[in-house]
Amino acid sequence: MRVSLTWLRELVDITLPVEELCDRLDMTGTKVEAVHTLGAALEGVVVGQVLDKEPHPDADKLSYCTVDVGGAEPLKIVCGASNFGAGDKVPVACVGATLPGGLTIKRAKLRGLESQGMMCSAAELEVGGDASGLLILPADAPVGEPFAAYYGLSDTVLELEVTPNRPDCLSMVGVAREVAAVTGVAYRTPASTPAEEGVPASELVSVEIADPGLCPRYTARVIRGVKIGPSPAWLADRVAAAGARPVNNVVDVTNFILFELGQPLHAFDLATIATRDGKAAITVRAASEGETIRTLDGQDRALASDALVIADDERAIALAGVMGGEATEVSEATMDILLESACFDTASTSRTSRRLGLISESSIRYERGVDPELAARASDRAAALIAEVAGGTVAPGIVDVYPGRPDPLHIELRTSRVNALLGTTLTAADISGLLTPLGLEVSGEGETLDVVVPTFRPDLEREVDLIEEVARLFGLENIPSTRPGGRGRVGSRTPVQRFRDSLGRALRAAGLDEHIGYSFGDRKDLDRLGWELASDEVLVELINPMSEDQAVMRWTLVPSLLRALSHNQRRGIADVHLYEMGTSFVTAEGRKQPKERLMVAGVLAGSWTRPGWNDPAPALDFFDGKGVLEVVFDALGVGRWTVRAAERPWLQPGRTAEVIVGGDVVGWLGEIGADVLDAFDATGPATVFELSVPALVKAASRTTRAFTDIPRFPAVTLDLALVVAEDVTADRVMTVMKSAGGTLLESVRLFDVYRDPASATEEERRLPAGTKSLAFSLAYRAADRTLSDDDVRPVHEKLIRKVSGAVGAEVRG
Amino acid sequence: MAISDELRALESEALAAVGAAETLEDLEAVRIGFLGKKGSLTAILRGLGGLSAEERPEAGRVSNEVRRSVESALDAKREELERAARASRIAAEVVDVTLPGRARPLGHQHVLHQVVDEIVEIFSGLGYRVAEGPEVELDYYNFTALNHPADHPARALQDTFYVKDLSGDRAVVEGESDVLLRTHTSPGQVHVMETQQPPIYVVVPGKVYRRDVADPSHLPQFTQVEGLVVDEGITFGDLKGTLEHFVREMFGPDRRVRLRPHFFPFTEPSAEVDVSCGICGGSGCRSCGGEGWLEILGCGMVDPNVFGYVGIDPEKYTGFAFGMGAERIAGLKYGVPDLRHFIEGDTRFLHQF
Ligand SMILES: [Zn+2]
Repeated sequence: MRVSLTWLRELVDITLPVEELCDRLDMTGTKVEAVHTLGAALEGVVVGQVLDKEPHPDADKLSYCTVDVGGAEPLKIVCGASNFGAGDKVPVACVGATLPGGLTIKRAKLRGLESQGMMCSAAELEVGGDASGLLILPADAPVGEPFAAYYGLSDTVLELEVTPNRPDCLSMVGVAREVAAVTGVAYRTPASTPAEEGVPASELVSVEIADPGLCPRYTARVIRGVKIGPSPAWLADRVAAAGARPVNNVVDVTNFILFELGQPLHAFDLATIATRDGKAAITVRAASEGETIRTLDGQDRALASDALVIADDERAIALAGVMGGEATEVSEATMDILLESACFDTASTSRTSRRLGLISESSIRYERGVDPELAARASDRAAALIAEVAGGTVAPGIVDVYPGRPDPLHIELRTSRVNALLGTTLTAADISGLLTPLGLEVSGEGETLDVVVPTFRPDLEREVDLIEEVARLFGLENIPSTRPGGRGRVGSRTPVQRFRDSLGRALRAAGLDEHIGYSFGDRKDLDRLGWELASDEVLVELINPMSEDQAVMRWTLVPSLLRALSHNQRRGIADVHLYEMGTSFVTAEGRKQPKERLMVAGVLAGSWTRPGWNDPAPALDFFDGKGVLEVVFDALGVGRWTVRAAERPWLQPGRTAEVIVGGDVVGWLGEIGADVLDAFDATGPATVFELSVPALVKAASRTTRAFTDIPRFPAVTLDLALVVAEDVTADRVMTVMKSAGGTLLESVRLFDVYRDPASATEEERRLPAGTKSLAFSLAYRAADRTLSDDDVRPVHEKLIRKVSGAVGAEVRG
Repeated sequence: MAISDELRALESEALAAVGAAETLEDLEAVRIGFLGKKGSLTAILRGLGGLSAEERPEAGRVSNEVRRSVESALDAKREELERAARASRIAAEVVDVTLPGRARPLGHQHVLHQVVDEIVEIFSGLGYRVAEGPEVELDYYNFTALNHPADHPARALQDTFYVKDLSGDRAVVEGESDVLLRTHTSPGQVHVMETQQPPIYVVVPGKVYRRDVADPSHLPQFTQVEGLVVDEGITFGDLKGTLEHFVREMFGPDRRVRLRPHFFPFTEPSAEVDVSCGICGGSGCRSCGGEGWLEILGCGMVDPNVFGYVGIDPEKYTGFAFGMGAERIAGLKYGVPDLRHFIEGDTRFLHQF
C-alpha cells in the first residue's frame, strides 16, 4: 500500500517526524517497507520558457529552440515535439538530470546541432499519461523554478506492508485511522452528499441479488449527462500518488474512492445495459454453464460456474469484484453512468481472480474483505465527485439491496486472560484505553469486558484477536521478558539423532566435506545411471515442478553428488570428497505419501590433497572409499560387516561391492562407470558409496561395547606368504585363518599382494600362472603368559594346513 | 722394574690412548686393550697373586688407582665423544621448519547444518527435544491444522509443490492432490501435539520447499528450524525472553532484539523478530538497508484454533511457536551474497566454514 504523506496529512494530524512515524507503524504491526521522497527523481528539471523556435535545417520533424531556464545564457535545445511555440512554458531537463525512466540528459549533437537539454512531456516525467507532446505549463509558471516544487510533486510516499488480516489498512482513511490510534491523534473521514435532481435512480435501475451469500450488499447510483475527459490535476495527482495511472475523470474518481475509502467502485455506461420495464436491470448471480465474458482488457474469459458475475438480462457485464466487461465500459461517448458500490464474498472473489490470473486493486480488497457498511457512503462521495469533475447531475437516491447486513459483533474479553496470555498486569481501564482508539466500543470494568467490533475490522472475531490488538497497542517492547518455568521438560536427542550426528562427524574426520543438494530428482537420471527401480517402486512425481529436470523427488543421492563433482571439476577442482545425508523418496501404487528413507552417500575423486614436497598424494580409488567405510564403521560401532563383489549398472564391473551388515545388504560401494561419468560430465576415477542410515543405526545398536584387558604379554609375530588361485578372495583366506588360529591368533594383517607382471617372461615368472601371492602378518598372543616358540609352532602349522586345504594355498618359500 | 712402575707406565700409555681416541669405536678398542679379558692391565692384575705378602698391599693399591684412573678417563672421553656425535647428528637433521606440514584435511560440515546445529544446541540447553516430520506432507498438517483457510493463497499451485497421490483419494482442498512438499517446518508442531501431551518443548529442523526460481535471494528448497512450547502458564513474555536469549547466544551478547507485531495464520498474537545490525549497531547502514535491524524469524502464541485441531485445551495450556530460516541466518552471519552457493557443492565454498 502506497501512502502519500501529503494526502495522509489531510486525513490525520501527523505530529511525529516521518522517521518516528515509521518506527511507530513498524512497532504496531504495519511495517514500512520503504520511504520514497518524490521530486528527488526530477532533480535538474526546471520550468523553462521557449524564447525562439526555428526549424532544424537538416530534419523536418525537429525544431531548434532557444529556451530560458533562468540561467545566465538561454539553452539551445533540439526538440521533436510540435505542440508548442515561442513564449510557451515547459519543463526542461538540464544536462545531468536523470528522468524517472532512467534517461540521463547529456550534451548531444542531433543532426549536426548541439542540444543542451531536453523539453519534456508529462509521460517522460511520469506526471501523467500524455506522451503526444510537451507538457505546456501555465503562463504564470516561474522560469527557473525546480519543476517538482512548482508542480507539487515534492512528497513523501510510505510503502506499507499490510498483512492479510488488515483489509481496513488498504485505504487512506484506514491508514489514517491506524495512525491516529497508534499516535494518539484525531483523524477525519471525508464524506460528500451529492446534489441530486431529476428522475430518481430507482426508476432508472433495478438490482436483484440472486445469491445473497456471495453478495451481502449491492448499491447503484446514476449520474446523467457527464462529459468524459481528463481529470483535473489534483485528482490525477492523487491517483498517481497511489500508484495507478490516471485514465479519465470518471474512472479516476472510482480509483480515487478505492484508494481513499477502500471501497472498490465500478462505473458502467448506463446506455449499454439491457433494460427491463424501462430500467437497466442488474442481476448479481453465479455464472451459468459455459458462459463467457470479454473483460476490459479485451480478453474473452470462460467462466467457472462458481464465478460471481454482474449481469443484465442478456449477458454478464462484469466479473464481480474482479474486472468490468468491455461492452459496458465507460468511453468517450458515455453520457450516463451507473455507479456500482458493492460488497462481494471474499473466497469467491479470490477464487475467480486467481483462476483467471486477474489480480486488481479491486480484487485484492474484496478477497480480504470490504466493509459492507461502506458501500452507500462511498457511492455518495463518488457521485458528488463525478458531478464535480465530469459535470452531469446525480439522480436522486441510491438503489441499495442489502441482504447481508451484519449484526454488531460483541466479544467477551477477560482481563485475566489478557494478562495470562501476554504476561502483563493490565487493568480493565488500561485495556479499554488501548482498544477504544481503534474504533472498538468497550464497556464494563473488572474481569469481563464487552467489546463491540466495528464492521471495518473483519479480522476481529474472537477474544484472542482482541488480545492481539491489546498487545500491539500496548507495545511488544513493553511486555516484560521472562522464560518458561517448565518443570516437566527434558532436553534430549533420540538415539537415531545422535547416531546421525556421529555419522557426520566420522565422515568429516575421514576427510569428506558435507554437501546439501536438491531433494528434487531428474527422471532421466534413471537412464543416465542405468538404474532399475524395484518392481513395486514408483518415483514420487511433482504435479507442478519448476522444471522437467526437477520433476520428481530423488530416489538416490548419487546424482546430487555426481553433479557436485562435475560442478567442481568443471571449475578446475580435482580433489573432491563429499558426503551427503538426506532423504530419498519412492512410493508405490495405492500409497498417499511416499516412503522417506534417510540415506548417506559419498563421492571421492582426485587425491586427498594436492601433491606436496613430502607427500605424493596418490589418486583415490575403490580402496580409499572402502577405507572411509572402515574407519567410519569402527567409529560408530558398526561391527561384523563385510563386502562382497557385486554388480550395479552405474558402477564399473569388478570394482563394485555390496556392503553387508549382519547378513543384510545395507548399501554399496564402487567406482562410477565410464558411461555414467560421461553422462554427468564428470571425470573418473570416482568412487561412490550409498548406505541406508537406519540399517547402520540398527547394526550399531547390536554392538555392545565392553572392556577387554589390555595385553600384558608380548605377541609373537609371524609372516606367511601364500600362493593362491586368482579367484580366491583375501576375505576367504582370512576367514579360514581366523577360525584355524584359535584363541591364540590375535590378528591377521594382509601386507602385500604380489602378481607376476603381465610382461614377465617364462624365466622371470615367480608364481604359477593364474595365481597370486598374499603375504600376511599373523600375531599370536596369550593373555596369561609369554608365548614360546613351542606354543606357537603347532598352532601356526595347523593354520597353514587348514588354509592350504581350504583354499588350495601353497606356502611361498 | 717394580710392578708398581709397570702399572704406572701402563696407566700413562692408556691415558694417552684414551686421549687419542677419535670415535666411540676407537675408545671401545682402547678399553678392550687395557681392561678387556685379555687386556694388558687385566693381565697384570692377574699376576698380582704371585707376589709376596710384603709387595702385595702396595701393588694392590697402585693397581686399583690405575684401574680407576683409566676407567674414569674412559668415561669422560665416552661422554665427550657421545656429546659430539649427538651434536653432529642434530646438525645433520636441521630442517626448514617453514616447509608445509604433512596434513590430511578434515572434512567441513555444511554451513547450513552448522547453523542448524548451533540453533538446536541453544534450545537443547533450554530443555527442548528435537522432533522431525516427513518432507512430503499432507495438506492437513501443512495448512488446515495450522489454521489456514481453504482459499489461503499459500495453497496455490504457483506457490506450493504438490505431489501425485497414488492412493486414489480425491483432492479435498486444492488442485489434484492433498499431498505436498511441506512449505515450512510448522507441520512438525501438529505432529508433536498430536502424539504428545504437554509439557512440550521441541525444535523441528528440516528441509522445506516453495515454488521459487533459484536466484541470489530465492531457492525452491531451503532449511528451517521450528520451535514449539506448550505448557501451563506460557506467556508472550516467555516467548520474548526465550528469543532474546536465543539471539544473544546466536549473534553475540551486544546484539539487541525487537519484536514487531505481524500476522501468521497459526499464531496469535504474532510477531516478526529483528536483530540489531551487526555492522552499524542499529544506526542504519548499507548492509541493513539503512534500517538498523535485520529480520530473522517469525513467532507468536499458538492460535487456539490450532489447539482445537489437536485436542489440547486452550484454557488449560498456552504455548508459543517460532520458525526461522537457516539460509537467512547463515547469510547474515557470514555475509553470503547468493543463496545458490548453499546448494552447489562447490568445495571452495564449503571449505570457508
Ligand atoms: Zn546496519
